[in-house]
Amino acid sequence: MRKSRITALTAVALAMLSFFVAACGSSSDNGGRSDTKTTDAASLKGQTVTLWIMNNGPSPVKDTQSLVKPFEAQTGIRVNVQLVGWDVQQDRIRDAAVSGTGPDVTQAGTTQVPFFAALGGFENVGDKVSQIGGQSAYAPGIWKTSTIQGQDGTFGIPWFTEARTIYYRKDALRAAGVDPKTAFTSEAALEATLEKLKSVTKLGGESIAPFGGPGKKAYDLVHNMMPWVWDAGGAELNDDATKSTINSPQAVQGVKFATDLVGRGLWDKSMLERDGTQVENEFKGGRLAVFVGGPWVLQSAKRPEDDTWSSAARRNVAVAPMPGGTDGSKGSTFIGGSNLMVFKASRHKDAAWALIKYLSQDRVQTDYANLMGMFPARLKPQEELGSSDPDHQAFYAAIKDQGRSYAPIAQWAQVENAYKNAFGQILDQSAGKGGLSDADIQSGLDKAAKEADGLLAQSAG
Amino acid sequence: MTTQTPPIVHGEPGDAPATPPPPSARRSRRRGRNLAYWLIAPALVFMVLVHLIPTLGGLALSFKNINTFTFSRLFGAPWNGFHNYNAILFDDANPLHSGFVDAARNTLIYTAATVTGTLAGGLGIALLLARSFPGRRLVRTLMLAPYVVPSFVVATLWGFMWQSDSGIINKVLVDYLHLFHDRPTWLLGHNSLFAIIVPSIWRGIPLAMLIFLAGLETMPRELHEAAAIDGAGPWRRFRYITFPLLRPLIAVQLLFGVIYSAYQFTIPYVMLGSNPGSDADLIMTLIVRQSFSNNLIGFGAAASTLLMFVMLIWVAFWFRAFRRDLEMA
Repeated sequence: MRKSRITALTAVALAMLSFFVAACGSSSDNGGRSDTKTTDAASLKGQTVTLWIMNNGPSPVKDTQSLVKPFEAQTGIRVNVQLVGWDVQQDRIRDAAVSGTGPDVTQAGTTQVPFFAALGGFENVGDKVSQIGGQSAYAPGIWKTSTIQGQDGTFGIPWFTEARTIYYRKDALRAAGVDPKTAFTSEAALEATLEKLKSVTKLGGESIAPFGGPGKKAYDLVHNMMPWVWDAGGAELNDDATKSTINSPQAVQGVKFATDLVGRGLWDKSMLERDGTQVENEFKGGRLAVFVGGPWVLQSAKRPEDDTWSSAARRNVAVAPMPGGTDGSKGSTFIGGSNLMVFKASRHKDAAWALIKYLSQDRVQTDYANLMGMFPARLKPQEELGSSDPDHQAFYAAIKDQGRSYAPIAQWAQVENAYKNAFGQILDQSAGKGGLSDADIQSGLDKAAKEADGLLAQSAG
Repeated sequence: MTTQTPPIVHGEPGDAPATPPPPSARRSRRRGRNLAYWLIAPALVFMVLVHLIPTLGGLALSFKNINTFTFSRLFGAPWNGFHNYNAILFDDANPLHSGFVDAARNTLIYTAATVTGTLAGGLGIALLLARSFPGRRLVRTLMLAPYVVPSFVVATLWGFMWQSDSGIINKVLVDYLHLFHDRPTWLLGHNSLFAIIVPSIWRGIPLAMLIFLAGLETMPRELHEAAAIDGAGPWRRFRYITFPLLRPLIAVQLLFGVIYSAYQFTIPYVMLGSNPGSDADLIMTLIVRQSFSNNLIGFGAAASTLLMFVMLIWVAFWFRAFRRDLEMA
């Protein structure tokens, strides 16, 4: 009897072993892959570079494929463009970096670069930067996003840039009797404008609210809220990025500016139930007079196939720089965008770099920015696009004069999550209570600061 | 997966072995047992591989310090004993603690409300549909509709319906019935837990109804007739005949309903985003967020282990409470 049990156990063990062997055997396929050690252009011919992109525009894959066509013809390198949604990209890129199985190049959000780089799965391309005109081809604030604070190395080449700014309806301002030149110069002016816009309840056949922004469902809620904090003299972290300052009195005042808009009925409460895209569509559909958005919204107004626009909104859309702070400061906006990173596990690093080099050419930068409704990352094409028309001028001014980003530290993505939760919660409560007291905001931000400090104290220990 | 082919055994189950006759009965018994082991081996291997090993792995991770910097080492991350458990359960200074307490409270309320609502609603509708009336089959079919809609779609639909400005619910309550002066915001603040409970009940009712309906159909009519002759009214007939006979069905649904609700993720995630806020955050949304957005896999594993233990306790309690009903059934 014991013998039979042993036989059965042996069978089980054998079966398990065979399963494991099968599982281990299926590691990365080497079919057609060759390690390239030389940068000889001829040897790169016939290689395939897999590029992960996110949904940056209306048809990201098709647009990117058409953009790299000349590169493919020139070099004989095939570019395999794959779309990874913004909702899952952090997990996918992180897992690819850790497991060593993934594409060759990936797009990554500017604020994610330090975290991905800290995982150790990405190439330091610092020694190749001279081939694309060096650091001086980029604004310092934008170049900063390719590094990790306090460490040497360049891990992501800036690809495109975006900044948020005020969008408004010219016809709504006319109906409310507000001069667009002075409507948004300061936060006080913005508030006064929105108060006047309250009287405009219908426009172009649609009910219209003065202002709206998304709440807890917006993945970029922190980018939307930080400008108010910055304007009030607050900051997200202290100078050496070791402690959170999101609960400083200045930050509380900045957040209070936003919750007061909700409390006074200027910020349409129902927008807080929506995510960023849905709020954007409310503006495009003519149901919001003012909102804060990125350059892609402007671009989409020029695409007749984008049917989210109501004709009145499309005809009357205009942009203005973000309002200045209460103390007469110039105002601030979050400057974001994406960088390109090369995986350490890539077997086509030279071909991958050749692609990045191509995507960093001024003309290609401009073409892509236009396709996606973004801004180029490099200074020269930025200037060119910025001087093309008044609307683009407003964006260029925002990038140049008002743009701010966060400290490039590995834990930023997680700290941002903690802040996002707090902001979402605070906006939620302000919708329920009709505004919030300083003490309510303080306690919400205290919690976020505590959580962030815990994250900042993390070590590899 | 490849397994070795088991030895060929002739004959049908229950037949005497066809060839050759065994030298002794004991050996044939042993061979029979051998065959049984061979037959359960694939399932056993599978259970060990997809269930037991990952569970043990998860348990091991719950004792590790996994964060942004140690994430890539996963099982090689440093051990930190019961630190994760302590942080979740007792460390008031740790923000993860308050998040967990909120999520545990919400999950408890959500589970109690959803299971009660589903069973009560399912039973009520089943009692109504158990009578014969014209168009009964059509009504039954229609009642099943919510059950075939995927959770994701349910959450998306209700997300639109709850919207304060353009949602149908406020249109009915405010514009047609004038029950509220201001438009309530269902998806924000305190109301958001209610906003995920209602669709969960709505989706759960059809299955409960179907099971109760099957139970009611098989119920002996004579009992009801005898009770009616003895002068028992409908309520007493339900109280002393229908309900006791349905207890086993209630028991089984209670078991699965509680487990299913405690592990709910899709509805709050789709309706309210990855962070539903402290009013509607459930244990599962918390675990997913902390593990995968914040790389705190050790924390997530510890919270998952705690949840598993709570579920085991629930199952043990359930067995004690309903053993008799199962035996009866």
